[in-house]
Amino acid sequence: MDVFLKALPLVLETNVLLTILLSAMFGIVVGALPGLTATMATALLVPVTFFMPPVQALGAIVTVTAMAIFAGDIPAAMLRMPGTPASAAYTDESYRMAQKGQLDLNLGVNLVFSVLGGLVGAAVLIFLAPALAEFAISFSSFEYFWLACLGLTCAVFIATKDPLKGLVSLFIGLFIGCIGIDPAAGYPRFTFGTVVLLEGISFIPLLIGMFAVSEILRGVTTVDNAATVIKKSVGNVFAGIWGVMKRYQVNFWRGSAIGTVIGALPGAGADIAAWVSYALAKRFSKEPEKFGTGHIEGIVDSTSANNSALGSAWIPSLVFGIPGDSITAIVIGVLYMKNLNPGPTLFLENAHMIYAVFIIFILANLLMLPLGWAVIKSARHILNVPRNLLLPLILLACIVGSFAITNSINAVVIMLVGGVLGWIMEENGFPVAPVILGLVLGEMLEQNFMTSMIKADGEFLVFFSRPIAATLGVLTLVTWAWIIWKAVVPKRPQPA
Amino acid sequence: MRANDAIAGGVIIAFAAAMIAITFTFPPFPGQRYGPSLFPQILGIGLIVCGLILVRRGIAARRAGGAWVELAPWARHGRPISNVLVVLGAILAYILLADRIGFVLTAAAILLILFLWFRVRPLAAVLGAIIAVLFVDWFFGWMFRVPLPLGVLPNSPSAALSNLLRTMF
Repeated sequence: MDVFLKALPLVLETNVLLTILLSAMFGIVVGALPGLTATMATALLVPVTFFMPPVQALGAIVTVTAMAIFAGDIPAAMLRMPGTPASAAYTDESYRMAQKGQLDLNLGVNLVFSVLGGLVGAAVLIFLAPALAEFAISFSSFEYFWLACLGLTCAVFIATKDPLKGLVSLFIGLFIGCIGIDPAAGYPRFTFGTVVLLEGISFIPLLIGMFAVSEILRGVTTVDNAATVIKKSVGNVFAGIWGVMKRYQVNFWRGSAIGTVIGALPGAGADIAAWVSYALAKRFSKEPEKFGTGHIEGIVDSTSANNSALGSAWIPSLVFGIPGDSITAIVIGVLYMKNLNPGPTLFLENAHMIYAVFIIFILANLLMLPLGWAVIKSARHILNVPRNLLLPLILLACIVGSFAITNSINAVVIMLVGGVLGWIMEENGFPVAPVILGLVLGEMLEQNFMTSMIKADGEFLVFFSRPIAATLGVLTLVTWAWIIWKAVVPKRPQPA
Repeated sequence: MRANDAIAGGVIIAFAAAMIAITFTFPPFPGQRYGPSLFPQILGIGLIVCGLILVRRGIAARRAGGAWVELAPWARHGRPISNVLVVLGAILAYILLADRIGFVLTAAAILLILFLWFRVRPLAAVLGAIIAVLFVDWFFGWMFRVPLPLGVLPNSPSAALSNLLRTMF
């Protein structure tokens, strides 16, 4: 409690509160626009947070993502287009509800359960992260090595449709992380004698390229299609919510619990949480035949799940430095930039800052209620902003944002290369998120690997000499064996 | 455009082989058995294994009647392709010109061209380009002190405005 009281003044500053309000508005607008994702919003925000003190910077990211994930539900119901991938699981269901004349109820449920789910995720983060940090304080390089391996494996294996291609993306990210001075011996690798590459590839320009520029390139291939104009207006979204809350209480708790667990798993975030909880809602429903016809039940589960995943994704990120999803991968990059290296010591040395971020989590979710209501009311105007005006403006933001990190045009070059690479990869079914995870984790993985190898003097069995390390190691190896088995052994043809 | 997995696999194998070849030029870590080349070599081997599986998968898909290169629906039309090229050209133009001509003029020109190419009405395009560039100049250049290149201009619009206000009051 003491540390909360110490953290409170860090949040209750005019600058911080103003930042939260502005990022909330930014997040809601970006989230509500189909094709612009929460990750993209975060990537575009990072150059601005670069100039802020840590609490303000992290608070901005927390707020933007929470708002964007909720706002993605709005175009799902109105246009049948998810605003962010996290709403894709129940887009059809929402749209059917709107067609049945239940748009108000749908948006109200999405808003209220996003807030509640977000609060559950935040609560779990607040209670679990410090406890886990206390446990993790005795970890050595062996445990961290296995944890990083397990985290990356989890990211490839749970979060991607095609694990083989996810693995390739991950290796590419780890390779990009190798460029520059190596962490053990200090030798410049893959720099081809240039000074520019000595410091390695700047994380943020690459991120902006892969998540924003590639999205623009995808967007301009369809920009000429006629825009859908909405004329629907929204009534009282809070009517009937109480009934839904009483009737589907179990669904809310189940969705939030699943979201929290999936969010905390490395690599898997809000979108997967929504898919899994929607599927489970259908499975355990008393009236599964109603699913897909505009039924509220599955929406309660999944809209709670995707917001609760946001908070718990911060648990592995803060405690171990292993990102819970692609957004927290960015957060880890920001933490390093602010000299707040993630790990259990963060909770000892900078506890007040971390708790300030926790308070912002709660604040952001509470703020979602009035702002969400306002954006639902004005959704018509936001969704009718023409994309041919929007895409060039986002491109300008990408260029300037990349430049602002290093104050050199090289950053724009990295952004361009990242954009083209990300675009080609996605077109060919290689997911982009593992590249970023690999890049963020690469140095930590290699450092712990090299330290462990030197300690073990090449004796690989030493990697299993400590009980927790052994458990994690065996778990990792078993998972790897399973993935290799799945990839090598061809699938049996399905009977028709 | 979606290439057959065998092509992707081939590219990955070639890339990984080049990467491993470069690691042989790395010096050993004095007094240690493992040097800076170990980690990239492991990654390279991992990529080659993945590449081989992709090649195998691609050849199987080809035998089953898949094409070597499959065009996405949008890539069959000229307009979407030129849209992509125009955006890439705009970024390239910024990289080549920004330092010489300056942020304000380069960014305004690029925005105007993009707006007009994407069929924004001319008046809205001109106004949009001017407002956006002035906003970025104020937000990043003035508030966050990002040294956006001046190029041929003697001063940035925000700085000029602030000087003007200072002399007036």
